[in-house]
Amino acid sequence: MSEAILLDGVTRFYEVGDTTVHALDGVSLAIEEKSFTAIVGPSGSGKSTLMALIGCLDVPTSGRILIDGEDTSGMDDDELAYIRNRKIGFVFQHFSLLPKLSALDNVSLPLLYRGTGSRERREKAEEMLERVGLKDRMKHRPSELSGGQKQRVAIARALITEPAIILADEPTGALDSATGREVMDIFHSLHREGHTIVLVTHDQKLASECSRMIGIKDGRVEYDAS
Amino acid sequence: MMLRENILMALASMAGNRLRTFLSLLGIMIGVASVVTILNLGRSVSESISESFEIGGLDTVNIMPMGVARETMIFTEEFAYDIAREVDGIKEILPTVSSSANVRNGQEIISGVQVQGVTSGYFASNALETSDGEFFEAVDNINRRQVCVIGAELAEELFPEGNPVGKYISVFRRQAKSFLVLGVLKERDESLGSSYNNALFMPYNTYTQRFRRTDQVGTYVVKVADGHDATVVAEDLERYLNQISGEDYYRIFSPATIKEMSDSVMSTFSIFLAAIAAISLVVGGIGIMNIMLVSVVERTGEIGIRKALGATPKQIRSQFLVESVTLSISGGLIGLFIGTVLSFAAVSIAGWTLYISAGAVIVSLSFSLIIGMFFGWYPAAKAARLEPMEALQRE
Repeated sequence: MSEAILLDGVTRFYEVGDTTVHALDGVSLAIEEKSFTAIVGPSGSGKSTLMALIGCLDVPTSGRILIDGEDTSGMDDDELAYIRNRKIGFVFQHFSLLPKLSALDNVSLPLLYRGTGSRERREKAEEMLERVGLKDRMKHRPSELSGGQKQRVAIARALITEPAIILADEPTGALDSATGREVMDIFHSLHREGHTIVLVTHDQKLASECSRMIGIKDGRVEYDAS
Repeated sequence: MMLRENILMALASMAGNRLRTFLSLLGIMIGVASVVTILNLGRSVSESISESFEIGGLDTVNIMPMGVARETMIFTEEFAYDIAREVDGIKEILPTVSSSANVRNGQEIISGVQVQGVTSGYFASNALETSDGEFFEAVDNINRRQVCVIGAELAEELFPEGNPVGKYISVFRRQAKSFLVLGVLKERDESLGSSYNNALFMPYNTYTQRFRRTDQVGTYVVKVADGHDATVVAEDLERYLNQISGEDYYRIFSPATIKEMSDSVMSTFSIFLAAIAAISLVVGGIGIMNIMLVSVVERTGEIGIRKALGATPKQIRSQFLVESVTLSISGGLIGLFIGTVLSFAAVSIAGWTLYISAGAVIVSLSFSLIIGMFFGWYPAAKAARLEPMEALQRE
C-alpha cells in the first residue's frame, strides 16, 4: 500500500514573547491509504498542530509533508488552498458550517472554490446529503438542525470533493454519547468503503476503535500501535 | 464565474444587517444625491437660459453705434453694405432706429411706447407674423408713408374694442403725427434683447425723415448666414469695426456670444459645486471602509472555514471586494434616485423644465464603483491575508 500522508522530520515552533514553543518537535510518520488512524493526546500535546499541518492549514518550521504523494513544502498560499480543496476533507468539532447558508449550499461550497458549475454543484450536494441521510433537510439552515445532523452535513461537505484524506478533529466532542456513536459509525462505514480517515481526539476509548493509534506527547510521537 | 455567487452573498449579508447597512450607506447616498442634484439643476438652469436666447435669435448679432459716433458720420444706412462686403458669413443687415414716444387713439394714450423704424425685410428675417392686416412694403419705405404695424399688447390697449387695422393713431414727437395701422403682430414670447408685443414699427425712411430726423442708424441687426457661427461673426465684426471707428463708438450685442459665456460660467460653477459635493463621497467611502473592516473581523471564522474548504486568497479578496462594491453601488443608486427626486422638486418650484444630466448619472455611478473598489480594497486584502488556522480558531 502507498502512503496517503508522509511526515519527515516535521517541526513547528512558535515564538511567544521571548520564548520559543516547540509545538511539534521532529515527527516522522507515514499513514497508509484506506487506513483509519487515530491521533491521540491530551490538550497541549501538539496533536492539533499536527492536524493543522496535515490539513495544510499551517506550514512546518522544518521537515517535509507529502499529501497523497505531493510534497507540500515550499508551496504558496494558492497551492496550499488547492491541496486543501482537492485532497483534504475536514470535519471539525464545532461543525464549522456557515450559518446563513442552507445545508445544500454548505455542502456544495468546496465545489464553488473549484469552479464547478451551479447545476453540478447542486446535484452532487444533493447526492452527498442523501448519503448521510439528510435528504429531507437540504433547505434547512444549520440553526434548524440538531448537533448530529449538523455533523452529518459537515461530513457530506467533506466527502463532496472525493478527498484523499478525511481529517476529523474531535468530531464527537460537541455531541452527546448517542449521537457521537452515530457519527463514529458513519466514519467506520466510510472506512469500509475505502476512505482514508485520520481522527484527532483526546478520547482513548474512541481512538481504540481505529485500526491504528498514534500517541502524541510534548510534540513527539509517544507511541504508535496498530 | 463566482461573480453571481459573490453578489448574492453580498446582498444576503446586507439584508441580514439592514440598519447597519443603511447607516453605512448614508454617506455615499448623501454624496451622490447632492452631486446629482447640483449637476441636474446646473443643466436645467443653463437650458432655460439657452431657451430664452434662442427666442432672441442665436443667428443675430446687433451693432449699436453710440451717440459719440454721430459726428464721425460712419454709421449710416449705406455703411451696412460695407460691413456685409468686408465680413464673412452675413446673410443680411437690417438697419433700425428706435426711440420711445407716446401714442394716442381717441381717449387712449399710451406713453413710453418703443417706436422702431425698420425696413420691410425686418419682419421676415425675425420670423414675425401678423394676426390681422399686413406688413408695410419696400414701396412704403421709399415713399416715406406714415403707416405702422403694432404689437399685440399695444393693439389691445389702444383699441379695446378691437379692429385696429385701417384706423389712424397719433404718434407724438414734439408734435402729433397721424399713422395708418396696417397690421397687428401675433403675440410672441418675450426674450432677451427684443420685445415685440408693445412696440410700434414704421418704415425706416418715414422714421428718419418725417418722425425724427437722424443720419445715424440706431442698431444694425446682422443676420448670420446658415452654417456660420454667430460668435465667430461677432468677433469678425468687432475686428472690422475697430479698424473703421474704434471700440468706444459702438457696442455689439450677440445672444450667441452671451449664451456661450453663460454656458461656460454655469458649467464651471456647477462643476465647482459638484466637486465640493464629491468630498462627501469620500466621506461615504470611509463609511464603507469602516463597515467592511468590522465585517472582516466579525467574519474571521467564516473566512477560516472558507479557506479550509479551499478558497484561495484571491477568491476571499474578490468576495469582500464585490461586497463593498455592491454596498457602494446600492448607495449610489439610492442617492441617484433621491437626487433626481430633489432636482425635480426644486425645478418644479422654480418653474423650469427638468433636464437630467447624463454626466451626473455616469459620474455618480462610476464614482460609487471606484469608491467601493478603493475603500474596499484594504479590508478585502486583510481578509485574504488571514492565516487559515488562526482564523478557524477565532470561530
